[in-house]
Amino acid sequence: MTLLSRLASLRRNLFARPGVERDLDDELRAYLDQLTEEKRRAGMSAAEARRAARIELGGLEQVKEEVRQARAGRMLEEILQDLRYGVRTLRRNPAFTAAAVLALALGIGTNTAMFSVAYGILLRPLPYAGAERVAVVYLRYFPRDFAFGTMCIRDYLMWKENNRAFEDPSLFRSLRMDIGGSEGAPEQVQGASVTVGFFSTLKVRPLIGRIFAAGEDQPVTGSLAVLSESIWRRRFAASSAVLGQTILVNGVPATVIGVMPGVFRFPRRDTEVWTNLPLNPPARYGPWFYRGVARLKPGVTLQQAQVEANHIGQRMMQQNPYYKHLTLPVLSLRDAFLGTTLKPAVLVLAGAVALVLLIAVVNVANLMLARATLREREMALRLSLGAGRGRLVRQLLTESVLLAVMGGAAGLALAWGGIELIRAWNPGNLPLIDSVRLDGGAFGFMLLVSMLTGVLFGLAPALQSARADLNSTLKEGGRAGAASQTRGRTRAALVVSEIAVSLMLLVGAGLLLRSFVNLERVTGGFSTPPRQILTMLISPSSPKYNDAGAFFAYYDEVVRRARRVPGVETAALTDALPPDRQGDADSFAIEGQPLAPGEINPIISDVSVGPDFFRALGIPLVRGRYFTDNDNPDSAPVAIVSEGFARRFLPNREPLGKRIGYGERWMEIVGVVGNVKYLGLTADTDPAYYMPFAQAYGPRMFLGPQLYLTVRSSGDAARLAAALRRDIQSIDPGVTLAQIGTMEQALTLSVSQPRFDTMLLTLFAGIALLLAAVGIYGLVAYSVAQRTHEIGVRMALGAAQADVVRMVVRQGASLAAIGIGLGLGGSCVLTRLLKTMLFGVGVTDGLTFAAAPLGLMLVVLLATSLPALRAARISPVLALRYE
Amino acid sequence: MPATNLLQGTLDLLILKALALTEMHGLAISHRIAQITDGTFQVKPGSLFPALHRMEEAGWLSSAWGESENKRRAKFYRLTAAGRRQFETEARQWKTIALAIASALQAS
Repeated sequence: MTLLSRLASLRRNLFARPGVERDLDDELRAYLDQLTEEKRRAGMSAAEARRAARIELGGLEQVKEEVRQARAGRMLEEILQDLRYGVRTLRRNPAFTAAAVLALALGIGTNTAMFSVAYGILLRPLPYAGAERVAVVYLRYFPRDFAFGTMCIRDYLMWKENNRAFEDPSLFRSLRMDIGGSEGAPEQVQGASVTVGFFSTLKVRPLIGRIFAAGEDQPVTGSLAVLSESIWRRRFAASSAVLGQTILVNGVPATVIGVMPGVFRFPRRDTEVWTNLPLNPPARYGPWFYRGVARLKPGVTLQQAQVEANHIGQRMMQQNPYYKHLTLPVLSLRDAFLGTTLKPAVLVLAGAVALVLLIAVVNVANLMLARATLREREMALRLSLGAGRGRLVRQLLTESVLLAVMGGAAGLALAWGGIELIRAWNPGNLPLIDSVRLDGGAFGFMLLVSMLTGVLFGLAPALQSARADLNSTLKEGGRAGAASQTRGRTRAALVVSEIAVSLMLLVGAGLLLRSFVNLERVTGGFSTPPRQILTMLISPSSPKYNDAGAFFAYYDEVVRRARRVPGVETAALTDALPPDRQGDADSFAIEGQPLAPGEINPIISDVSVGPDFFRALGIPLVRGRYFTDNDNPDSAPVAIVSEGFARRFLPNREPLGKRIGYGERWMEIVGVVGNVKYLGLTADTDPAYYMPFAQAYGPRMFLGPQLYLTVRSSGDAARLAAALRRDIQSIDPGVTLAQIGTMEQALTLSVSQPRFDTMLLTLFAGIALLLAAVGIYGLVAYSVAQRTHEIGVRMALGAAQADVVRMVVRQGASLAAIGIGLGLGGSCVLTRLLKTMLFGVGVTDGLTFAAAPLGLMLVVLLATSLPALRAARISPVLALRYE
Repeated sequence: MPATNLLQGTLDLLILKALALTEMHGLAISHRIAQITDGTFQVKPGSLFPALHRMEEAGWLSSAWGESENKRRAKFYRLTAAGRRQFETEARQWKTIALAIASALQAS
């Protein structure tokens, strides 16, 4: 009842205001009339009665205002009033409004974009039911020693048998697959070979068809294939007739049983075919191709699962003395996607962008303070006319929140553009980029940040304005008084903090830039210019190439045809490529150099290459000779080792003539070549040994028939791609070619995440620098404007223009010096967070710590020189007449 | 007690009491309050009208334009059913409080 009545009043007060106001006016006038009439009857004259009545009423307008205060919706009405007033004020000061909105748009926009990236990558639920309960399980052991290494089927069976923490564990392996059949030309795609429980572990439902059923991992089942939505649309026109159809996977028939929805992207973002992995218990250990994926049982935590995995690891070591220091690292699905480097990078970038916002807020607060000085008289006047101080603060806050929301709206547009750019370009090859988008969450974030910043930069100036001392302000006539002196100090402190924070960002960006330059300088160990190297992955997977004769004949023809393509200088085959395409890795023994009982050499890269591989890439020969065509199956087995190999395993000894191998097959070392990186540019030098491709058929065949063709061209290698593809394809149209690209592209891709981090942080630091420069410019320009009179007096008394310039610049420079001092201190603390992101540069790199402050000081001097020159041009005559 | 310093609840109760018997316009209400409190409370328009409007918005009073005793237009207020209930509640509360305060002051 009461509530209904109030709501009705609210509606009337807000939407039928003129009527309500007229009624109130009538009522009070009637009251006044009655009172006057009463007084007159009591014996007063008409004039006297009217006067007395008016005095008793106590001011018609005041009474009306009291009634309005009591009305429902008063608050809302005032806010609307403030908003209207705010919009008018902002419109009257377009320069101020534009500067503030721009600063806020930069601050809020970058933050909203970064929020979306961080949320999408670190927090947004993965599109699989209960994905937070799914873990990926790895194997780490010496001699292989990869932090997130792979296991073999024997390890899996052992894990499965002893497992209590997980529901039925599954196994998977990523590999390249050739897909071909009646539906179209064969195509090489990313595939995965998985155990039958794989899809149910991840709780994904097929778009059409079904997933693997229990028992479909026996040899009698035959090959089954589940397709991704993308390949289904591309090759099968999204037809449901695909179910039951036979396709060729690596030349072997497989029956399509289902299609996965597009959101399902595991184990890799580009996986398009999943086949059932036959699980016949293997006779021996290896090959180590697989990783486990499993869902935690209810009530079991990831930590508990890790503890159990450690116990299982102990048992594995007892059963197989070959394993040393074995552990089973367990990672959540999200961490498995992210890897180890992305999370800290995203957090650092999010922190950096928060600092940018801080600087933007400081800038706007500074603008507001400057304007508060100009509005001192307006505020004093309103206070003296009876406005409450609380009411004034509220009105000023409304103005600043309005400003912030305008900045936020502009920032939202900026963020949208930024995210579209990042998604389209995906510079860091970011996993989970698909879950980065601007959505309701980001919008809410933007709104919240806008409100908070509005209050943040508006509160102090508003409180200061409302505290104004009426008498002195009105008397001063707007000249700099006590209040504006406090404000001046506040503004100076704000600018100092701005400088300090921008310096921290600059130092961070400087370190990343230095690190990135170092990365770019890493050559990978070869001297041929990367743009003159073209590589492609060739996959003769049809069963007819299982015959060694056919296999070698095919690849001989590939090399022969490649050499004939105009522009090709050298062509060679290899099963590994720098900077990060590792092929096989294996252990080895050195003849006549027995190890301690149970000891074993580490597993290192072993690369099978054609005779011209070293010449094609420009890998220097240190001693001995390269491989030749005479190193064939009929001649004695030979090997070439890297410098790192020789230094580590044959220190201070002549490597040439030594033999390495695995017991029954010994290879004589005929050459030593320079180190090449196969595990990424940032990895430590890893030793390697090379075998002639022609002699390596037996040892490497379990890796599959895929090899890289590497050619060196006389000019831009990218121009050869089409001709090479055509000529090689014509040997056997059933063989697929993929990953055709220059070494330059491969290098760029391999450092894409550091490039992404560096670019973003540099961008943020640039914005910060710009804002700080604008901030200090504003402060100095304002103080010059205020001191026009004083400067005029000085010049009239004989100060030279140079003195004036020096005086003004000194003001800005001394503030900057304080800010730089504070910023250097902060940098020393904050750059430690960058440690894992840096390559070849320390967190306290001297050059960066010297260059960043210098650059900042230069920008500050530039920003102050403009108002300083203006000050120098002040004419004493005009200045003294000023005011 | 100075009239400007009226507790809000007190003024509400006095207005409700003044209107308990019949409808009245603003001036009459302030006269009536002065009369029933023996001149202790002189309600000024600056307090009276905000209270009347607030109470009307709360649904305790309703108002209508009418003609005053000396043939002038005036706005008349009267209690609604809700207002009458409110009056009874507030009167009961007031009596309880008044008794409690009185006995507290007499306590030795």
